Amino acid sequence: MIIGRGRYLLRKLGWALATVAVVVTFNFFLFRVLPGDPAKAGIKDPRLSPESVAALTVRFGLDKPQFLDLEGGNPFDSQYFSYLARLAEGDLGTSYAFRDRPVSALIGQALVNTVWLVLPAQLLAIVFGMALGLLAAWRRGTKLDVGALSFSLVMWSLPTFFLGIILLFVGSRWLGLPTAGRVTIGAAYAGPLDQLWDVLRHLFLPTLTLTLVLLGEYMLIMRSSVVEIFSEDYILTAKAKGLSTFQIIKDHALRNALLPMVTLIALNLGFTVSGAIQVETVFSWPGLGRLTVEAVGQRDFPVLQGAFLLLAVSVVLANLVAELVYGWLDPRVSEA
Amino acid sequence: MKAVRTFLGNRLGTIGAAMLLVALAVAVLAPVLAPYDPYASVRVSIDDIYRAPSAAHLLGTDDGGKDVLSALLFGTRVSLIVGFAAALISLVIGGAVGLIAGYHGRRLGNLLMRITDFFLVIPDLALQIVIVAIVGQSLRNIILVIGALGWTTTARLVRSQTLSVKERKFVLRARAVGASDWHILRRHVMPQVLPLMLANTVLVISLAILSESTLAFIGLGDLTVISWGQMLNFAFTRGAVSAGAWWALLPPGVAIVWVVLGTTLVGTALEDILNPRLTRHHLEREPRVEVPEVAGVRPIGEPAPLLGIRDLRVEFAGPVGPLVAVDGVSFELRRGEVLGLVGESGCGKTTTVLAALRLLPPGGAITAGSVMFDGSDLVRLPSEQLRELRWSRLAMVFQGAMNALNPVRTVGSQIVEAIRLHDPGIDGKAAERRAAELLELVGIGGQRAGEYPHTFSGGMRQRAMIALALACDPDVIIADEPTTALDVMIQAQILELLDDLVERLGMAMILVTHDLGVVAQRCDRVVVMYGGVVAEEGSVEAVFHHPRHPYTRLLLEAFPDLEVPERELVAIPGAPPRLDHLPPGCRFSPRCPAAFERCREERPPLYRLGEGRAASCFLVDTSAAGPELRVGDEHHA
Repeated sequence: MIIGRGRYLLRKLGWALATVAVVVTFNFFLFRVLPGDPAKAGIKDPRLSPESVAALTVRFGLDKPQFLDLEGGNPFDSQYFSYLARLAEGDLGTSYAFRDRPVSALIGQALVNTVWLVLPAQLLAIVFGMALGLLAAWRRGTKLDVGALSFSLVMWSLPTFFLGIILLFVGSRWLGLPTAGRVTIGAAYAGPLDQLWDVLRHLFLPTLTLTLVLLGEYMLIMRSSVVEIFSEDYILTAKAKGLSTFQIIKDHALRNALLPMVTLIALNLGFTVSGAIQVETVFSWPGLGRLTVEAVGQRDFPVLQGAFLLLAVSVVLANLVAELVYGWLDPRVSEA
Repeated sequence: MKAVRTFLGNRLGTIGAAMLLVALAVAVLAPVLAPYDPYASVRVSIDDIYRAPSAAHLLGTDDGGKDVLSALLFGTRVSLIVGFAAALISLVIGGAVGLIAGYHGRRLGNLLMRITDFFLVIPDLALQIVIVAIVGQSLRNIILVIGALGWTTTARLVRSQTLSVKERKFVLRARAVGASDWHILRRHVMPQVLPLMLANTVLVISLAILSESTLAFIGLGDLTVISWGQMLNFAFTRGAVSAGAWWALLPPGVAIVWVVLGTTLVGTALEDILNPRLTRHHLEREPRVEVPEVAGVRPIGEPAPLLGIRDLRVEFAGPVGPLVAVDGVSFELRRGEVLGLVGESGCGKTTTVLAALRLLPPGGAITAGSVMFDGSDLVRLPSEQLRELRWSRLAMVFQGAMNALNPVRTVGSQIVEAIRLHDPGIDGKAAERRAAELLELVGIGGQRAGEYPHTFSGGMRQRAMIALALACDPDVIIADEPTTALDVMIQAQILELLDDLVERLGMAMILVTHDLGVVAQRCDRVVVMYGGVVAEEGSVEAVFHHPRHPYTRLLLEAFPDLEVPERELVAIPGAPPRLDHLPPGCRFSPRCPAAFERCREERPPLYRLGEGRAASCFLVDTSAAGPELRVGDEHHA
C-alpha cells in the first residue's frame, strides 16, 4: 500500500513536471508564432536607427534561429535554448516599459501581493462555502437551501469585475474605505498597529469581492457532493448504528465530501486566477493580474510573458498540491 | 413535444428562456428602441457628461455625454453575437476532439486528452489576455480567441459520452456489418451524443459572454463597437465612481447579469431534465406524522413477543399523492427464533423492516401502527432513546453491503465506533481487541481490521458487515437479503455463518429473502408478503406443506423441490401490483387462479387460523358461507 501511494505520488509529480515543461515551451512559442511578432516589438521603435536595431537584434539574440540551429554549428545555439538557459537562472529578460528593471524582480513583488489577496480569500471562501453548502444539503428544500442556491446562481452570473465595482462604489462613498492599492501612499503611521490597520482597510474590499465570487462556486459544489454522500448506503449504516446526525456528518460525511471538493477547487484554480486579475484591476492592487493588464496596455511583452508563465506554473503546482491532498485523504487512490 | 412540455414545466427554465427572448428581441430591435444613435458623433459640452437620468435620457449620460440607454440597447448585439459565435467555435472544436478521442482507440485518444488536460490547467483569462494582446483586439479576433480556448469541457463531456455509446450493441452491430467509421459516427454516435450536449452548450455560451465583457472591461475590447464591458471600462476608468454616476455603471452590469443568468437558468433546467440528480438523502428530518395510537389487544396470559409489528402502514410521497407501500402489516418475532420474510421483489419486505427501525428512505413515512420492542413503541419513541436502542439491541445487515461500509475508514474503526458508542466506558484498546475478535468470528483475520473496505472482496465485506452487526451483542438482527450480490457458493457460506452465529449467541433474526430454499433451510417461521400486505404466516413446516394462500402455493410451485426433481416448475404469470395501481380488492386477485367476485371488490382481512397460522384469503374464511374451494386439493403435492 505504501508502494502504491509512492507510485501515485511519483506519477503526479511526473505529470506536473511534464506540464510545466510544456507550459514553458508553449509560453516561448506563443510570443513567436502568433501574428504581430511581439518578440520583435521591443526593437520596432521608429526612432531607432538601423544600426541600433541591428545591435539590439544581436543583443536580444533575435538573429538566432528560433528552435534548432540546423545550419551547422551548435544545434542548441537557438533562441529557445538560450531562453531555457536564462530561465534556469531565473532570468526572464528586461521590461520594455521599465527599461532597467528585470522582469523577475517585477513579477516577484507582484506575486507576493497577489498571494496576499488570493490566499485569505481562498481560505475564507473554502471554509464558508463548505459550511453553507453542507447546511444547504442537510436542510435540503428549506428556505435556507433555496437562498443558498439563488445566491450561487447570482454569483455565477455576476462578472467579478462588476461585483468589485459595486462594492467599491458602496465602500468608498458610504463606508469611507480606500479603493486603490495596498497602503495609503505617503501616509505617516503612528505605529505598527496603525500601519496594520491601514493594510487591512485596503485589503477588505478586494478580499470581500474575491471571497464572494469563489464562495458561490464552492457552496454549489459542496452542496451537490454532500447530497450525494448523504444518500449513500454507509450513511444509512451509520444511522442504523445509532449515531446522531452531528456524529454522522463529522465522522462519515465530511471527509468523503472533501474529496470532490479538493478536485474541484484544483480544477477551479484557473477561475481563481481570472478572479484575481479582475479584482486587482478594479482595486488597483499591485499584483500579477494588474501587472499583466498594464503590460498589455504598454505592449510590454517580456513582462507579459513572465507574468503569464508564473500564473500558469502556479496553477500547475497548486493542482499538484491538490492531487497530493487527495491521495492523502482517499485510501483508494493507490489502487487506481 | 413532450420535451418542450417538460421544459415549460420547469419554472426556472421558463423564466430563463423568457429572459433570453427579451435580450434577443432587444438585440434585433435596438435601432427602433434606442432613442439616440450611439454610433453617431455628436458635439457635447462639458455639462452633458454624466448627467443624471431625466426624461431626455432615461438612464442619464456617460463619460462622453452620450445616452446610456441607447448604448445599452446596442450593446446587447455584441454580447449575443460574441456569445453565440464563440460558443459555436468551442462546440465544433470540443465536439470534434471529444468524438475522435472517444471513438478512436488509445493512442490518439490519450494524446488528445492530454492536450485537453493541459488547456484545462492554463488559466483561461490570462491566456485570452495574452493572445488578444498579441493578435490585436478586433471583434473577429476576440470571437476566435474565446471560441478557440473554450472547448475543453465540451471535449471531455463528448469523449465520455462517445466512449459509452461506442460499446452499445447497435454500434457494434454496425461495425460488424462493415459500416465505415464516418458512417457510424454520423448515423449512430452523433445522434446519441448531441442531445446530451445541450446543457453544456448553454454553459459555453454564458462563459463566452462573460469572457467578452471581462476582456472589454480590461481594455481589450473592440474599440469600434459598443459592448457592455466596454461601457463599464469607460465609465470606471473615467471617473464615474467619484462622480457618483451609478447610472453609467449599474445598467451595463445588470444587463450582463440578465443575459448570463437567463442562460444559466436554461442550462440548469436542461441539466435537471436530461440528467436528473439525486435530491433526497438519509439525513433529512423525519416527517412529523401523527400516528394514531392502537389499543393493546394482546390477550392476557400470552407472553409478549420480542418484536411485535402491528397494523404498520407506510406511505411514500408520490407525484400525485401518497403511495401506500405497506398496508396494515402485523407479525411477531419471538426470542431466539429465525423468521423468514418472503415475497417477490417490490412486495414491501424491505420497506417493512426499515420502517420498523425508522430507517425509511426519504419521502417515506409511517402513518399508522406500532412496533413494540421490549415494552416501548419504536414508532413513537423520542429519537434520542431510539438511537440508544439501535445497534445495541436491534442491528441490521444491509442488502448489498458493497457500499454499506464507509470507503474512507478502516473496517476495524467502523466496528470500534459502534462498540464505543453503545459502551462509552470501554477503553480504546479493549474495543479494538473486541473488533478483532469479531472479525475472527466471521472468518476474517483480526489483523485485517486496519484495512479499508475496498481491499475486501464482496463476500468478505458481507462478513465484515455481519461482524459489525454483532458488535454490540444485539437481541435482534435484521438481515435484508444479505447475500443478493454474491455468487452462489459465497451465498451459502454467508448464510451458514449468520445462521450459526445467531443460534450460538441466542439472538433472534428476521431474514428478508425471496429465496424459498433459504427459508426452508434456515427459518423457524415464515411471513409471506404480497403487494404490501401479509399474505400468509406460519411455521415453515406448516406453510411449506399446507399453504393456505394461493400466492404461497404458486410461489412454492415456482420453486424447485430437491425431493421431487421431476415436478414441473410453474412461473406465476404477471407481476406484483404497482403502488400507484393497487387493485381495489385482494392485492393478488388479478393474478390469482382461484379469485372470485368478492376478491375483486373486498380486501380480505388476515384470518387467524390458530397455532400461529394466518392467511389473508377469503378461501380460508370459515365463518361466512363462502363459495366452494375451487383450487382443488388443499395439500401441496
